[in-house]
Amino acid sequence: MRRSLLVFGLGVMVAMLAGWVVFPRALYMRKPQPLEFRHKTHAEKSGLADCNECHALRDDGTFAGLPAMEKCAGCHAERIGETKAEATLVNNYIKQGHETPWQVYAQQPPNVWFSHSIHLKRAGLKCEDCHANYGASDQVKVYEVNRISGYSRDIWGHSISRLHRAPHDGMKMSDCEDCHRQHNADVGCLGCHK
Amino acid sequence: MSARYGMVIDLDRCTGCGSCMVACAAENNVPALPQATTRTGLTPMLVRRVSNERDGAERREVFIPILCMHCERETPCVSVCPQQAVEVDKATGIVMQMPQRCLGCRYCMTACAYHARYFNWRDPAWPAGMEKSLNPAVAVRMRGVVEKCNFCHGRLHAAKEKAAAASKREIDPADYVPACVEACPTGAIRFGNLADTGDPVSHEARSPYAFRLLARLGTEPKVYYKSKEAWVRQLAESVSGRETEASREMKHV
Amino acid sequence: MKVSRRDLLVWSAGAAAGLMVTPVPWRVLDDVSIWSQNWPWIPQPARGPVDVKQSACTLCPKGCGLRVRVAGGFLVGVAGVASHPVTRGALCPLAFGAHQLNWHPQRLRTVLHRRSVSTWNAAQMAFTKACSEGPVVVIDGYPGRAASQVLESFAKNRRGEYRVVLSAETRALAPYERWTGVPAALLGYDVENAGTIVSFGAPLLDGWGAPGHFTRLWADRAAGMNDPQLRLIQVEPTLSRTASRAWQWVPVRNGSEAVLAAGIAGVLLEEHLVSARGPKPTLSLTAAGEQTGLGIDAIRGLARTIVARPPVVAIANDDSPEVAALNVVLGAVGARGGIVRRSRENKSYLAADTPISSARAVVIDSSVPWDFAPKTDAEVFRFAAWDGGSGSADWLLPAPGFLEEATDVPAAPELAVQSFALAPALTKAQHEVRSAALFLSGIDSALPTAEEIIHARCQQIFQSRVGMLCSREQTPVSRFAASQKLEEQLWAGAVWVGEPVGPPNLRCELKEWPTPSTSTRGEGWSSSWTAPVLPPLASKLVEESGLRQRAEGRLA
Repeated sequence: MRRSLLVFGLGVMVAMLAGWVVFPRALYMRKPQPLEFRHKTHAEKSGLADCNECHALRDDGTFAGLPAMEKCAGCHAERIGETKAEATLVNNYIKQGHETPWQVYAQQPPNVWFSHSIHLKRAGLKCEDCHANYGASDQVKVYEVNRISGYSRDIWGHSISRLHRAPHDGMKMSDCEDCHRQHNADVGCLGCHK
Repeated sequence: MSARYGMVIDLDRCTGCGSCMVACAAENNVPALPQATTRTGLTPMLVRRVSNERDGAERREVFIPILCMHCERETPCVSVCPQQAVEVDKATGIVMQMPQRCLGCRYCMTACAYHARYFNWRDPAWPAGMEKSLNPAVAVRMRGVVEKCNFCHGRLHAAKEKAAAASKREIDPADYVPACVEACPTGAIRFGNLADTGDPVSHEARSPYAFRLLARLGTEPKVYYKSKEAWVRQLAESVSGRETEASREMKHV
Repeated sequence: MKVSRRDLLVWSAGAAAGLMVTPVPWRVLDDVSIWSQNWPWIPQPARGPVDVKQSACTLCPKGCGLRVRVAGGFLVGVAGVASHPVTRGALCPLAFGAHQLNWHPQRLRTVLHRRSVSTWNAAQMAFTKACSEGPVVVIDGYPGRAASQVLESFAKNRRGEYRVVLSAETRALAPYERWTGVPAALLGYDVENAGTIVSFGAPLLDGWGAPGHFTRLWADRAAGMNDPQLRLIQVEPTLSRTASRAWQWVPVRNGSEAVLAAGIAGVLLEEHLVSARGPKPTLSLTAAGEQTGLGIDAIRGLARTIVARPPVVAIANDDSPEVAALNVVLGAVGARGGIVRRSRENKSYLAADTPISSARAVVIDSSVPWDFAPKTDAEVFRFAAWDGGSGSADWLLPAPGFLEEATDVPAAPELAVQSFALAPALTKAQHEVRSAALFLSGIDSALPTAEEIIHARCQQIFQSRVGMLCSREQTPVSRFAASQKLEEQLWAGAVWVGEPVGPPNLRCELKEWPTPSTSTRGEGWSSSWTAPVLPPLASKLVEESGLRQRAEGRLA
């Protein structure tokens, strides 16, 4: 009996170890960004202190998202600095006429419709409310992809248990629903889905 | 915004061209199904040719566009769905079908008195490269789910976004025009807010010439039809609209 | 310690229990559900900005205004232009699916020589050789464009021939060409000012003329009205779409339309219902009543009804001279609301179907309908964006497809006034394409380019100070300070509309009632569609519903 209990306990321990330690590491795979972009440098040195300078709303109200190469080429058509990151940008992308293949942290499935206009202008949210203070970051955030779903780790959030989650950590549908419920903004299924 | 979006379709103006059918399919990324039949096809907007069943000089025909009626009362498809994949949106009155939630039991297709729901028998497929012509505003469905007209929710999204960007509370009605309404060359299909007394569509819906199909089922459909021809209005009273020989042959028995 | 099977089972039970309180099963479920809804073989639309641009459809000679959504350089949606003065936001059912045509499996992607793959170089060499050996005939399916001028100049420079395929609406005007001396392509139908229209089988509500043009007019003035401003009388053996919506349907026996025209003309002259004194039809009213199956009284009644709301015009579906003669009797030729001259030019065309006497080579522009096959032994160089299969061309040359080439847009064939618009290219072909005009420019460098001609035409309009430029507002041309501004607006989607040609508009000489002739029957709008394939979504109209039939690759 005692032996069984021990063996059982061993099983539980191995499972817990695998589930809480190994699994979170194995589930994700790191994918490098094409280059080391530094928000802080751009905010401080280039007078681009406002998020909208690059991440703006277009005329029809849609959100530009990650700026197109055209925007970067506005300053970086030729090299203006000394970093390896800039060299990559100018030589591999701007001069070749290719869009930089960024990995998008907040990428949602194709059937999701999220309107930045509505959240910024009607709901009065600020960029930091969902994207943390990424604009002041010194380094490019590590992009980790979930091996099963193919989406970024930032969607589930960093914590595997989702306990003690920061408000901007996680972009699952339940996170959207929580905020909508809090603010009494029931939009129905097709309010957020295409 | 608390609206009741509906339509008034003027049958005296409908020439049966089919522009609404193609425009709807293009807007909603519906794949072309060249091997389909009238039974297995995917036509969220479908125009039917209906006659008075007489021949020769006495013959009269009318074209009736059929789409989801966005029933308001005890909406049959909503009440039978085991997945809550369809619901009536309180803010717009649109009966919203979420293909991503659907498990494909097709109970709703049985429940719908207007046969306005269609099933994806296969995964959608387009010839190589044609996927680049898909409308980014609407999600592509997979096989095994039911779909139907959602009053072009992709265009409602765009209208809402545009209004928000301009810091307006309400959308501009001119920005929210479903594909079929925009496509109709005679302006037979009119779309608007039935709850807004300032909207001309709400007046037309109350015209003595307006009627609804199968109104006596009591589902309160929000798509009205209008015709000054008495035989058309009388026809609407019948249980199953009568059809021409040609379309009867093409249907399954 | 020996590990037994029981140990393994107990251990597994422990592991299973333990797993339940780890994230593993819950995360795996969640992630698998996402994975299973994102199958890689289900195509997804592009992500990124969607721009709305204006252009015009060139898949038939009506040139309807288009508002196109473009994402990533590809077309993702098509709609009409509500402010277009002619089409008023309408398009034919096929245009709404045309943005998918460029990807049609039958898209012609390589040069084909007698059905085997060849090269542009080989085609060029063969054509240059052919040009040096004999005359070249050039066939154009969409005359009036700048590209048409290039084609015509090439033919003229080489002492060859330039021929055109005329649309059904223009072909129906052929009889007037004989009686007025004005080429049919310069005549139009002044339906805007008509009070009664008698259509002899012409599908006025189902593809006659530019889709929005007459249908909108009819919808605003006649649809559903008991006493409409515009009376549409449809003469047709069966209940067509137009007949079912018309104010009156006259069900004549098949093939007796011309007889009815004669019968009506006879009554009009006999009862002095019109001011004209002739020409008198030779057919008796009794014979007309019998042959049409309507009877004498019905024809009398019809004649009286017709003149009750002037101006009256008769529109034929073919080049039947009897219907044209009826218009002469009605006084509709050269009159307001009738058949009018729309330009003071004097440009006549040689019809494409006249037999080719001698030619070393024939060039067929991509605008020519696929089923047009010239009867000739010459080497045929056919430009096409889509391969219609079989066919008799020696060379098949990939041409630009839908909205892949900038062009100008001449007036729709049925218009009573001149009009002009520009259609920019909104997408690029994914393989090498050349239009016939570009190819010929490559052979003969003395030819002007289509861009130069377009530029010159814009300047001409500016200098004429005539007409209106229509976009959201209407601006008279005389108010423009510079030709450049005018051209800019045209590229942005504005449409120039000319002024009606004032009196005397037309002089018509017809002494005798024409003898009955076998006329070429028009097929309405489905014959205007020039691509040999239908947009894939046309399946909604045919296979997936009973709304229309597919007839020989066209839509009925």
